[in-house]
Amino acid sequence: MSRKEHPVWEEELMPYVDGQLDAEAASNIEEHLEECQQCSKRVADTRRLSQQMATWQVEDPSENMGARVFGSAAPKDRSSRRWGWFTNRQSWMYGVAGATAALALIAAGISLLRPPTRDEGTSSATMSWAKTTDNSGPGVAYHYEVQAPSQQGQGQGQQGSLGRQQTEQAKQQRQQRPPGDLAALFEFEQDQNLNAARPPAGPMVIRTANLRILTKEFDSARARIQAIVQQAQGYLDQMTVRGETGLGRYLSATLRLPSDRLDSGLTELRKLGKVLEESQGSSDVTSQYVDLQARLNNARSTEQRLLALQRERTDKLIDVVSVEREISRVREEIERMEAQRKDVFSKTQYATIIVEVSEEYRAEIQPSAPASGTQLRNALIDGYHGALGSVLALAMLILRYGPALLLWLAVLLPVAFLIRRRLRSLIRAN
Amino acid sequence: MKSDEQLMLEYQGGSKPAFAELFERYRSPVYGFFRRRLNNAARAEELAQETFIVILRGSEQYEPTARFRTYMYAIALKQLWTERRKEVREHRLVKLPQEDKFETDPATGLWIRGALEQLDPDYREVLMLREYEQLSYDEIAEVLAVPINTVRSRLSRARGELKALLESQSAKGVSQ
Repeated sequence: MSRKEHPVWEEELMPYVDGQLDAEAASNIEEHLEECQQCSKRVADTRRLSQQMATWQVEDPSENMGARVFGSAAPKDRSSRRWGWFTNRQSWMYGVAGATAALALIAAGISLLRPPTRDEGTSSATMSWAKTTDNSGPGVAYHYEVQAPSQQGQGQGQQGSLGRQQTEQAKQQRQQRPPGDLAALFEFEQDQNLNAARPPAGPMVIRTANLRILTKEFDSARARIQAIVQQAQGYLDQMTVRGETGLGRYLSATLRLPSDRLDSGLTELRKLGKVLEESQGSSDVTSQYVDLQARLNNARSTEQRLLALQRERTDKLIDVVSVEREISRVREEIERMEAQRKDVFSKTQYATIIVEVSEEYRAEIQPSAPASGTQLRNALIDGYHGALGSVLALAMLILRYGPALLLWLAVLLPVAFLIRRRLRSLIRAN
Repeated sequence: MKSDEQLMLEYQGGSKPAFAELFERYRSPVYGFFRRRLNNAARAEELAQETFIVILRGSEQYEPTARFRTYMYAIALKQLWTERRKEVREHRLVKLPQEDKFETDPATGLWIRGALEQLDPDYREVLMLREYEQLSYDEIAEVLAVPINTVRSRLSRARGELKALLESQSAKGVSQ
């Protein structure tokens, strides 16, 4: 149906039914409706639909709905503010939470100071890192996971599964409790701390190496470095190549190779040419890492507690806001520590090799003389530049000494003229 | 009677009764907004409270260039979307009764509710904002951040589809 035959589209009827048209447009539609049965039916249907929809009524909200909203608006008097913390349940909860966190920190510190026994190392679950491909960072991202010691013998494996069962049971028990149960939260925190405070399986060492090499085959050395990196499943962090006329080329690269492949990587790199200088270093970051991990887990526990507090729906806005602020602060701290931990871990997993490769410079035979035409052209241009230079030099000489010369001429010429006249007169008298 | 915007400006100036009046005006509509879109009455009330708390907190940023109703429902919608994301994440999205279990008695709201649930979410939102929240086309466009012509077309299609659904439900009820 064309617009000419039917001047009102069905879609245009909706604003009319909803009273969204101005008076003129509405009267146009009304005129049309008197003639068009199809549109009249559509309008009637739409109105009936609205009436049907209106049958779905919902109950009124409860009377105390505003209590929480307006509890925030009531100003507190000074005395209640001063001593309010004493009677405030949340203040006590914060206090207890803080004290628990402090105790957990102390416990983590003690466990760090105490040397780990062999039994602990074998019977407890081990923490391992899994490398996954991710867009964050330099192409790799790390996740840690707590694994049962399945490869540590059957008996130990059973211990691990027993431990898992107990953990699962405890988890189920906690899930059966009401959501605001603080005891469950503290238990959860203790479990988290237990998992986190365990030191890594071996020492965590950041290894670095510097290598300075002189090579005759610079191009192949460059390609070889990239091949070594690929072969070792590492990555090239940074590479700079510099070349100047009359000097050999120079390459500086920072390679990140898996720590266990550092030695094989260095062996391969030494083959690039004559090693001028080599140095290696290492730094043990085990305690730093464990400390960071413990602090991170404590912060996570604190965050969990705060989230639980937030879910409990306190009745004062100011409390809600302060909990939210605290959550945001703790989250920021967690993210910062997480980044630090990843950085430390990445450095321990990937050794850094700074390699500098210099090309042994060999003077080359000068290329053949240019063609005669080029020489003539060069001579002509040189001549032009010479002529222009001499003109400029003369002009500059005149400008520089001309005024002084004129001045002396003006002074000396009359004197010379007078002397000449005097001499002539003397000659005549004789 | 003072307009919503005037009351909001008065509250910005420190008048708490002004906000109390706004709250009284909109406590039922905002609760109804959530109640019709969620299965849980307690959660609907909490989200309605949250909406007013967000308005309270953000009162300093409110500018009278925006209509209060639009501002309020935009906040409510954001709360709703956040809640739905949370539901999906926590796998606690409670599905409404399946088609064959639909209430077919036109006297109850469940009949309408069941049919509305079958609509495309974009169409349903426009229709509900129009029919239950009584927002104008301009206001719906502003709240949903879509062009007004989109609102018109979605509303038209939503009504067409809902009518067809109700008719089919009605036919099933008769046959049963």
